[in-house]
Amino acid sequence: MIAGPSRGRRYVMLFLLLCGFSIILFRLVTLQVLQAAELTAKADRQHQKTVSFEGARGMVSDRHGKVLAMNVEVPSVFGVPTSLESPSTVARHLSPVLQIRRDELEKKLRQDKSFVWLARKVEPEQGRRLEQLSLDGIGVVMEGRRFYPKGPLLAHVLGFSGMDGQGLEGLERRYDSHLHGEKRVTVLQRDALGRTVFPKGLAEQAPTPGHALTLTVDEVIQYIAEKELEEAVTHTHAKSGTIIVMDPQSGALLAMAVSPRFDPNVVAALTPDRWRNRALTDTYEPGSTMKAMVAAAALEEKVMTPDSMVFGENGQMVIASTTIHDHDKLGWMTFSEAIQKSSNIVAAKTGMALGEQRLYRYLQAFGFGQRTEIDLPGEVNGLLKAPKDWGRRSAASISMGQEIGVTPLQMVSAVATLANGGVMMKPYVVSEVRDQKGRVLKEVRPQVKRRVVSPDTARTITTMLEGVVTNGTGTKAAIPGFRVAGKTGTAQKIDSRTGMYSSTQFVGSFVGYVPAESPRLAMIVVLDEPQGEAWGGAVAAPVFRRVGGQALNYLGVSREDTVKIALAMKDY
Amino acid sequence: MKTVTIVAGVLLVFVFVWERVDVVRLGYQIERLKTQKILLERERDQLQVKFSALTAPARIAKVATEKLGLVPPQQGQVLMVHLPGEAPSLSLPPVEQVRVAKDESIGRERE
Repeated sequence: MIAGPSRGRRYVMLFLLLCGFSIILFRLVTLQVLQAAELTAKADRQHQKTVSFEGARGMVSDRHGKVLAMNVEVPSVFGVPTSLESPSTVARHLSPVLQIRRDELEKKLRQDKSFVWLARKVEPEQGRRLEQLSLDGIGVVMEGRRFYPKGPLLAHVLGFSGMDGQGLEGLERRYDSHLHGEKRVTVLQRDALGRTVFPKGLAEQAPTPGHALTLTVDEVIQYIAEKELEEAVTHTHAKSGTIIVMDPQSGALLAMAVSPRFDPNVVAALTPDRWRNRALTDTYEPGSTMKAMVAAAALEEKVMTPDSMVFGENGQMVIASTTIHDHDKLGWMTFSEAIQKSSNIVAAKTGMALGEQRLYRYLQAFGFGQRTEIDLPGEVNGLLKAPKDWGRRSAASISMGQEIGVTPLQMVSAVATLANGGVMMKPYVVSEVRDQKGRVLKEVRPQVKRRVVSPDTARTITTMLEGVVTNGTGTKAAIPGFRVAGKTGTAQKIDSRTGMYSSTQFVGSFVGYVPAESPRLAMIVVLDEPQGEAWGGAVAAPVFRRVGGQALNYLGVSREDTVKIALAMKDY
Repeated sequence: MKTVTIVAGVLLVFVFVWERVDVVRLGYQIERLKTQKILLERERDQLQVKFSALTAPARIAKVATEKLGLVPPQQGQVLMVHLPGEAPSLSLPPVEQVRVAKDESIGRERE
């Protein structure tokens, strides 16, 4: 039997043990249950660092598979400042390799962060040298760097992407959901001493790349258009210029050149004004090129025929207290001759004969005042007011290409409708989207928007527009051996200071198609504020001839005289 | 019989061990080849960029005119010869016969 005092001590001991165990149990429950989530996260923060990497952006190529934009895996260098013992030593080793100032690197490495980029998308050789140095707390990971190997070629259409691989402009932005690669998260571990443990093969692994785009654009036609546009802009001292070449039968864009150009490989120092795609973001009053569509509407509605006799009012006519002038004092002439000579007075009369509602319907049907819905970002509607907002002379003004704002893309699309027998096609620039294994994910087929005029009307207006090039204001657009249909345009710009039409600032343009009998190319040339002689027939028509001639040669389209030679040889 | 059984057992053990070692060896080889594939793909991409830059129309035109003294063909110097049946096809897409502009409301058939 145990004596009383010793029994008492035992109870005390038991009580103390129970208390001790209770404290331990309480602490255990607190740590393992109550604070489990918080502490686990804290431990993860101390032992792990999550870094995300994007897969390479998809390739962009022209209609023949020529590469226009692609990613190449290049090294990016990062540091883990919290695991560095001597940031200054590391910075001293890194500086000559990365070509970055030592103090700049040291500043980054002294930050109280567990991850900092030191240099992104550096040259492969720099990455190799860094791996040889094998510095603790410094890692190399492969990232996609966007290259545009053709430099400025098609830059306004391609756009560009940012440092983190996000599409910022042009197709890069419009098709970002397809182009951007898979995002992969990598967890970097740290050991008990706080040193980063880089996963094996981190530098070799790359996330799944994005989808590839095939464009309708032909890089050779694009080059021809850009080269000729640059020459024209330089020669005429124009502020800017645009050329669009389209396949009228499909609406496929073959070239879209904008001047001034820019190199998407080097955009950091440029302003948005430089990379804006003026072909679809800038509107202008088209001037006389609009007469082609008004004439087509008048023919379709049988308001006019090519042989209708019209009076040119000897060069001036008063409409709603405003005098409209023609370049020449024109008298009686056929409607065809009036289009050839680009008579403002006849155009105004035609518009008024059509009437506001019919004129408006045709302008809408030709696509003015609305987006063409091309697969490029930034397109604007243009300006076409509803008839209820028109003034007394609006029908006349719009028929001459005033009081209406169009984009070059809208205008070429409208004229391509005439080239395509009166059927308007939806313009498009991407023909195919493929995944990284080459499987077709999306194939874009030509899409009919609507029929605007009958095939008969389209044929008749084509003959009239051929007259513009053979005998009218557009003779400089003539391409030997081919029948060209087109229309010149010279529009006065509004002077922003006075709000009136300027007598020194013009937009000179030419829009047309070739060969007229079976059009392969529809094209517009627009020059903004050419200096000196600014007539569309003088500044834009020759550019049409040069681009059209070279493009037809390149496409292997037979000249008319070739056919004659072949027929003669056959007869012989 | 006993000896044969022992030898067979030892052989089985050897085969088992050899198989395990070979699996590990092949695993390493696959890893090495995977890495090599990625590096080769990267090199291919770099060469592709270089090739694309070298075949840019602007560069070819520059070399052709400045180095080789070539000039663009003038009007009439290019004659296209199409063999029978080789005429460029002009396939028209299907056309919706809708006269939109002639109608009171866009998109409705007039007839």
